[in-house]
Amino acid sequence: MGGKRKKSESEGVLGDEDNERSNKKEKKSSTKKDILPSMIKNKEKRSAIHAKIKRDKKLEKRKKIKSRDAAEERALELGEEPPPRMVPRTIENTRELDETVCRPDDEELFAGNEADEFSAILKQERMPKILITTCRFNSTRGPAFISELLTVIPNAHYYKRGTYDLKKIVEYANNKDFTAVIVVHTSRREPDALLIIGLPNGPTAHFKLSNLILRKDIKNHGNPTGHKPELVLNNFTTRLGHRLGRLIMSLFPQDPNFRGRRVVTLHNQRDFIFFRHHRYIFETKETKQSDSKGKAKKAKDGKGENITEQRTIARLQECGPRFTLKLISLQHGTFDTKGGEYEWVHKPEMDTSRRRFFL
Amino acid sequence: MPRTTTVDLPGCPPLRALTFDVLGLVKVVEARTKQGGVPKVVERWGEPDSSKCVLAASMNNSQSDPLLAVARRNGAIEVLNPLNGDLCVSILDVSDAGVHPENDATVGLHLFRKPRLGCASRTCTLLTCTTKGNATMRSIEVANSSADSASSGSSRTWNVCASGNILCCEVDGTENYSLFGGKGVEVNLWDLGTCSKIWSAKPPPKNSLGIFTPTWFTSTAFLDNNDHRKFVTGTNNHQVRLYDISAQRKPVISFDFRETPIRAVSQDLDGHTIYIGNGSGDLAAADIRTGKLLGCFLGKCSGSIRSITRHPEHPLLASCGLDGYLRFWDIKTRQPLSAVFLKQHLMDVIFDSNFDDQEESLPATDLLVHEAQDTNEIVINDETGIQRVKRKKAKKGTRIVMDTGVEDQGNFAYAIGKVQREQLHSIFDQLLEREGSRVLFA
Repeated sequence: MGGKRKKSESEGVLGDEDNERSNKKEKKSSTKKDILPSMIKNKEKRSAIHAKIKRDKKLEKRKKIKSRDAAEERALELGEEPPPRMVPRTIENTRELDETVCRPDDEELFAGNEADEFSAILKQERMPKILITTCRFNSTRGPAFISELLTVIPNAHYYKRGTYDLKKIVEYANNKDFTAVIVVHTSRREPDALLIIGLPNGPTAHFKLSNLILRKDIKNHGNPTGHKPELVLNNFTTRLGHRLGRLIMSLFPQDPNFRGRRVVTLHNQRDFIFFRHHRYIFETKETKQSDSKGKAKKAKDGKGENITEQRTIARLQECGPRFTLKLISLQHGTFDTKGGEYEWVHKPEMDTSRRRFFL
Repeated sequence: MPRTTTVDLPGCPPLRALTFDVLGLVKVVEARTKQGGVPKVVERWGEPDSSKCVLAASMNNSQSDPLLAVARRNGAIEVLNPLNGDLCVSILDVSDAGVHPENDATVGLHLFRKPRLGCASRTCTLLTCTTKGNATMRSIEVANSSADSASSGSSRTWNVCASGNILCCEVDGTENYSLFGGKGVEVNLWDLGTCSKIWSAKPPPKNSLGIFTPTWFTSTAFLDNNDHRKFVTGTNNHQVRLYDISAQRKPVISFDFRETPIRAVSQDLDGHTIYIGNGSGDLAAADIRTGKLLGCFLGKCSGSIRSITRHPEHPLLASCGLDGYLRFWDIKTRQPLSAVFLKQHLMDVIFDSNFDDQEESLPATDLLVHEAQDTNEIVINDETGIQRVKRKKAKKGTRIVMDTGVEDQGNFAYAIGKVQREQLHSIFDQLLEREGSRVLFA
């Protein structure tokens, strides 16, 4: 991995070459227009042509990358500044302008943080204590998921749901000094929703849960230790995202055991929150001996330099469930479906642009 | 190719609105025709402090002596000057010594527009109501300069409910009657002159299944300014009800609106259109004569609506709530006019009706923007220019910038900030005599 990165870090595209290529592309596309694969009725021929076009594209792309890298190297050798590499236009970086994005110099934001429901936990005045329960009917994947959640979140306790109302459970948890209630909702034996209720008067977040992969279905998974995990929250930028991030933060203890080398990641991308749980390790390695991971590239490095050098590499091992969350609503106060007020609800009229995100 | 253009919202007519949020900040939003009617936050009063969270606010819009009353979570009631945010009076609402203000929060506040009988000219009268049902009417001396004047004058306290929690309190247009309602409290009407209950509602009958929904009123509004007999209420059970005290004790009309509790109800000036806002951010207009929905106000409103206010002159509506946006809507087309992001959960919004679009009470930075427009005005119309100087004189750091092509006059411009007031006039006259001089204020 490392070797390739190094090359690509010095970057650039030569302008004239680019033009040439675009010319070529134009020619190609004009010829392509005459025989679009979709116009051919014979399936065998159609698929053959389709495969050929695909292959050509792939080759061209490879050639393009090669020439670009060569140009970069040349520029570096000549001591010139390589031309800046093009930044691909993605949905995220063409995101609609959002005025609710938090700014680091916003004093009202910090004052608001001071005053919100989680500040007692985040300032370590209160220890997080989590109650996990389920919907009324759960089986198979639900309990398995909960048992893994219990290993992920320290100081979490599973309580059987029984036939209690959720409001009663919230009341009970309040009396027992819990700081949050998590409800895993299953439908057709598959967990499909997650409800996080902050206590005593914190907000209630309702998530859709999808793509759940349990530990035993992950290849080469590790088993987490009992240490308090570190928490990584990525891309929670707006006010709403910030608040949600603080809600998630308040589930975990604020003093991680770094010795445990356990990390829980919640990565937000296009309003989907990806949950991952890893163990990491830093290893010092001599680059000459290629072990099972490095393979071809490392061998190449070794040939080029022929010196053993010590490098620190980080290795990750995934352990524990993998799932995706999407926020459906954030309710003001604890769980109350009939009389609740919402801080944010998803509404269909918000979905008028693919480039608008709320977190 | 991504769509890079955004749909611009049409601007607002000139207006000035005050918003109140959970951190106890009061923000002034102004829209001016010069800026294309885009509302902006021009002033912020107070320091962020969650214990000073605004619970209720009321304003006296009189031309001569406007006042703004704000009830805070820590039990304080402050009377402010709505023009510059200066604190006039601050009193601590301690009706019962044993009750902590957090447990008995103020829910309703009304600042009387007409002076009550037997009051001096410089007093203001306030009606407050707490969750436990302690209604207090008091008159306070308003001293202009000092903020230390304590609650003086008469104060009268009575209890409007034996049990339950008061959640809404409203005073009618004639300011003789007041309406209270809440969780477990049927709406009841009180005569403020005698402090006696004159009417109370009766719960609607059980439905066909024999299910009785408990009383829980969340918002009320009088239909007409001069008529205390008709009013609408919103309930936690997403019902909107019209009561007419001259007809019956049960609701005259009641209809359901969506599925979350009604959080705000507001009346239009015409006396039959009402605006409803609910807990999931739906805002709609309804005709209360028929109980039919006229239409919804659509536009990415995602948080619970806490307050709806109709502009006294323009066909305009302001709504605010937990999503932190102050939104302006056109009443006729029900389209959004503009939205201002104010960062905190908002509790209330009030329009300042005697706002003058032409008046330049903007802070310095905004004036700089308009310097180009002001260049010729001074030369042509010296009267207004002098008036401006007079007003500006009061502020420190007055600065006159001349631009006649001579360089050293730039230095002159900064020096003038220290010039005495008397000299300012003479200098200004000299400036006016020059041909093509540009006088700017910053």
